[in-house]
Amino acid sequence: MEISGSLRLFGGLPALLRLVREDLAAMNIVAHWAVAVTPLAALWLARTGGSETICRDLPATRAALAAVPLTALELTPPLARRLEGFGLRRIGDLLALPRASLGARLGKPFVIDLARAMGEIADPQTYFVFPEQFEQGLELPAPVEVAPVLLFAARRLIAALAGWLAARNAAVREIDWLIDHGHGASTSVPLAFSAPVHSVSRIERVLKERLDTLALSVPALALRLSAREVEPREEHSLTLFDGAGQRHEVLAELMDRLVARLGPQAVQGLACHADHRPELASRAGPDKPCIKPTVTASPPRPLWLVNPPEALREAHGRPQRGGPLTLLVGPERIESGWWDGGDARRDYFIAVDSAGRWLWLFRDPRLPGGWFLHGMFA
Amino acid sequence: MHSALNGALQRGEIRRGDVFAVAPAPTFATGFSRLDAELPGGGWPRGALTELLTEHEGIGELGLLLPALAALTHAGQTVVLIAPPHCAHAPAWAAAGIRLDGLRLVLPRRSRDALWAGVEALRCGGVAATLLWLDALFRSQLPANSLRRLHVAAGEGGGGAFCFRSSRFAVEASPAPLRLQLESAGQQVRVNILKRRGPPARQSLLLDVARPTTLSPGFSHAVAGAVLPDATDLRQRNRVAA
Repeated sequence: MEISGSLRLFGGLPALLRLVREDLAAMNIVAHWAVAVTPLAALWLARTGGSETICRDLPATRAALAAVPLTALELTPPLARRLEGFGLRRIGDLLALPRASLGARLGKPFVIDLARAMGEIADPQTYFVFPEQFEQGLELPAPVEVAPVLLFAARRLIAALAGWLAARNAAVREIDWLIDHGHGASTSVPLAFSAPVHSVSRIERVLKERLDTLALSVPALALRLSAREVEPREEHSLTLFDGAGQRHEVLAELMDRLVARLGPQAVQGLACHADHRPELASRAGPDKPCIKPTVTASPPRPLWLVNPPEALREAHGRPQRGGPLTLLVGPERIESGWWDGGDARRDYFIAVDSAGRWLWLFRDPRLPGGWFLHGMFA
Repeated sequence: MHSALNGALQRGEIRRGDVFAVAPAPTFATGFSRLDAELPGGGWPRGALTELLTEHEGIGELGLLLPALAALTHAGQTVVLIAPPHCAHAPAWAAAGIRLDGLRLVLPRRSRDALWAGVEALRCGGVAATLLWLDALFRSQLPANSLRRLHVAAGEGGGGAFCFRSSRFAVEASPAPLRLQLESAGQQVRVNILKRRGPPARQSLLLDVARPTTLSPGFSHAVAGAVLPDATDLRQRNRVAA
């Protein structure tokens, strides 16, 4: 990684390195790294492991390289064997030999690599291309039997996802967790958000609700996170006194958490539907089809629908429900649905019972007939 | 009165027994001016639990809230119903003036999920009013601290919190600062204010809630004498209707 261009931004090398160390510690990652003037030198120095090597200029880099064992170069086995045959252990041993004869004996590519590491010739690098898809996995240090414990491991993946999203200035609408149980068995835990999200805390809170309700039948061995639906982030300029945008955001998060814990069917919107049969005139569903209410002038309808309709007893020609019911308004004939098999022909009445409940009843004029409670006005 | 004493009495934390608190809690209008006049702050409280107690469901308890809910949804706010007792019938809610896109129904299967959802909805701060029907899921065995949890959550979120319960709980102590007992009274609803911040209410109120018979009289024709027509009469009517 080229850092000399970023030193000023991060306030110098020590500050940058401190940030890197902190981030690595926060994610529990053990890393070997080195700073050198040439990319290959840094790579080789890092591979030697041990203490963090920092070479700020070419002489220091060359001096450090001399001590690097040849195993750190990860050479092809024939080449490594040959160097061992020469009795060479470290790069310094190599550098003592005449370079021209090295090229003849060990091949040109190797000598070129060496020259690049030493900073003698340029070493153009290809630019790092950010992955188009986000998918990252994690082996768990020990099998996990309780789903909520997975949250700790998941944090690292969420942080990686957030980093990936930040680099692309994107947000996710759907992510997919794959819990690997080994032996090819796995559990898929998809998480969908009502609005694209990009913040670690938000994803984490929704995941927490989902994991709380998840029962693992088999211990989990690994975790994999992939981003499903990625879209460009919509930036809102934050206005200081506008509560509406913030309210919208917390509401979206609430809905996501409710869905994550209670299931997608448990959180519904309500919409009208053009059908004369009351049970079909109201649509409740997670997708919330937005049909504009066209009911402007219709007979009164109850707020609650009793579904399925409750059969009522009839005595002395009057429907009974804890006593005789008083019919106030009716009948209103609703006849519909003969074309789709849901044939209905009913006479609706508004009634009051002895306790003062306002009820919506219907009577099936066809045989065998009978009274049914279909709604409550509340 | 001494001016220093007078100044002290103006402070929000001091309440005199005979008047409402000087710095009343935030409220939103109920849509019934006579009820507003009896409630501290002149409306339904925000950020506090309100209990609506009824002997039976279906007597007009929702009718009491509908004008306020209609106003909230038309202001672009959201109303959440937690564990409603029956299927909500969209055309009726729309006819009551509620904007359906401002309505969310939460249908938890287990009692503790219902309580959890209620607490989360109340404290998130994005919900203007939360309506809860918890007793059915809890088989009327609502844990003792549940109402307190709801009340505290409402205080955090600052929205309206309405818990529909049975009148049998009227005798039990409750952390809700406002408790109303509702009874059907013909076309009206009788409201007894069991508890409010401020002086106890002296008499009950009779409020004209929306009743199906008053909504659109043009459509309804009363059953003669409020007695069921006999079968032949019905058959005749059916023939006419067909």
